[in-house]
Amino acid sequence: MKILTTVKTVVDVELNIHVDNGAIVEKGLQYVMNAWDESAVETAVRLKETNGAETTLVSIGGGEDTDKVIRRGFAMGIENGIQIDDPGLAQGDSSVLAKVLQKVYEKGGYDLVITGKQAQDTDNGQTGIMLAEYLGLPCVSNAVAIEVIDERHVKVSRLGDTGTEIIELALPAVITVDVSINEPRLPQMRGIMMAKKKGIEVMDLASLGPSLEEVGARTPKSKIVEFIAPEMRKAGRKFEGDASEITAQVVALLAGDARVF
Amino acid sequence: MTTKVLVVADIKHGKLKSSTPELLSKARAIGAETAVVAIGSHMESLIPRLADAGADTQYVADDPGLELFSAGPWASCVAEAAGRFAPDMIWFGFSESGKAVAPRVAARLDAACATDITDVKLEDGRVEITRPAITNKVIQRVQVNAAKLVAVVRAGAFEATQGIGGTQNVVMLSPPAPDAGAVIKEIVSDAGGEIDLADAGIVVSVGRGVKDQAGVALAKQLADDLTAGFGSSRAMVDAGFMPHSKQVGQTGKIVAPNLYIAIGISGAIQHLAGMKGSKVILAVNKDPEAPIFSVADYGIVGDLFEVVPILREEIKKIRS
Repeated sequence: MKILTTVKTVVDVELNIHVDNGAIVEKGLQYVMNAWDESAVETAVRLKETNGAETTLVSIGGGEDTDKVIRRGFAMGIENGIQIDDPGLAQGDSSVLAKVLQKVYEKGGYDLVITGKQAQDTDNGQTGIMLAEYLGLPCVSNAVAIEVIDERHVKVSRLGDTGTEIIELALPAVITVDVSINEPRLPQMRGIMMAKKKGIEVMDLASLGPSLEEVGARTPKSKIVEFIAPEMRKAGRKFEGDASEITAQVVALLAGDARVF
Repeated sequence: MTTKVLVVADIKHGKLKSSTPELLSKARAIGAETAVVAIGSHMESLIPRLADAGADTQYVADDPGLELFSAGPWASCVAEAAGRFAPDMIWFGFSESGKAVAPRVAARLDAACATDITDVKLEDGRVEITRPAITNKVIQRVQVNAAKLVAVVRAGAFEATQGIGGTQNVVMLSPPAPDAGAVIKEIVSDAGGEIDLADAGIVVSVGRGVKDQAGVALAKQLADDLTAGFGSSRAMVDAGFMPHSKQVGQTGKIVAPNLYIAIGISGAIQHLAGMKGSKVILAVNKDPEAPIFSVADYGIVGDLFEVVPILREEIKKIRS
């Protein structure tokens, strides 16, 4: 089984994000592997370990940060790495990224594409699903468990609106995973050292095949006009003292001022 | 030229969820012509409700094959309704189904796609939306350039206008082919009658402070008293006391109820990201320095095992 994991290099959301004059302040930002894609990589590596799958990771982006993220994938156990480095794709939305990934998939002929269900910078949750649409492949999103049935079928559990949906997926297919599917392993020293020396297949868009026009990068479907800092929530009233007294007081306030009861 | 908005009805266990009239009301408020598309089985009783919710045309796909949710067939129905109605915008309520179907529809129609929008405006004939990003740390104002927009709307972002009504004008859609590549076998239900965190008016959540199953049960009693949604911090999910589907936070659910009651939750940033949009926050924690108090409108510093029973008593009194 050949698996392709698509991984995004994103801003580290553990850090504070500041907005100034309608734009995000770049200073102080760090970039890491998208948390949901870490689970996707872990899923792929486990399938390698249990089913002998061949694993490849692809990331769209340039610079040290994307390189670092791909090498983290290697350190976790991914065998092959592809980097699509093209400045023309920097502002690409999910549909653009999905069209680029479509070309990567078509070049390699994979049985399964696994990606995180959303990226922590855009929170869109669209790229993986759009990729499946463009490829005409079946897709299950928000997967919380995957079980191989045979060479051509996997059983996927998905968190739906009324419960856990059990779906039989025919390969080749696309699966987007939720973080609850697994706990991604922390790369060990040996893996990290090996990852430093591994080769990454780096391509710009032209080498991959399509033009910027073809992937929609020249005609963006939308444009971010402005970033705004969300309203800071202020602390309210804190009550300390005798539990019966303060609780009664708070309930009265909630019923009176706040009118929530 | 009037903007046309197609709203995808949110149906759960045969009932129309609140997002449907909310989205239709917003569409009317921005001056759009409205239609709704409803997909499922045994739809007859629902049809009158669809017009009442504020749509002037109701596209209905009613087939036994649509009893269990499957993204492919759902996308086909929405695309068929869109083909007939020719909307400028297609809006989904915030649900797992909506999130699974919207990108497919957008890809098929080559439309712009926006998830978790909190506002939409028409500015000089252009659509502008507002949405949070970077796990709710920033807000984006986005101008849509594409001819069409498919959007998933944040739960509670829009308000329903009472009694708006619409004209009953039903168009039956042909049943779509089932998805042969992704066959839905069964749905293992959440506990019966569970309240959806996304549209609960009140949510009670537990954190590590409740310690164990007994503590969870205590908080659940409060939730039941209030007919509230029951949520959890990540710590309680990781410790195995609560399922992931109940997790409120960055990597779980984002909720914005009228009242959020945090029981034994310290207030880690990733949890706050999931609930700070709540109208009123009440926190109970024995640590006066717990970060949750920095966002709570009302904070009770105390032992939750003592406070929660008192809360239940006082609430019973107030309501009687």
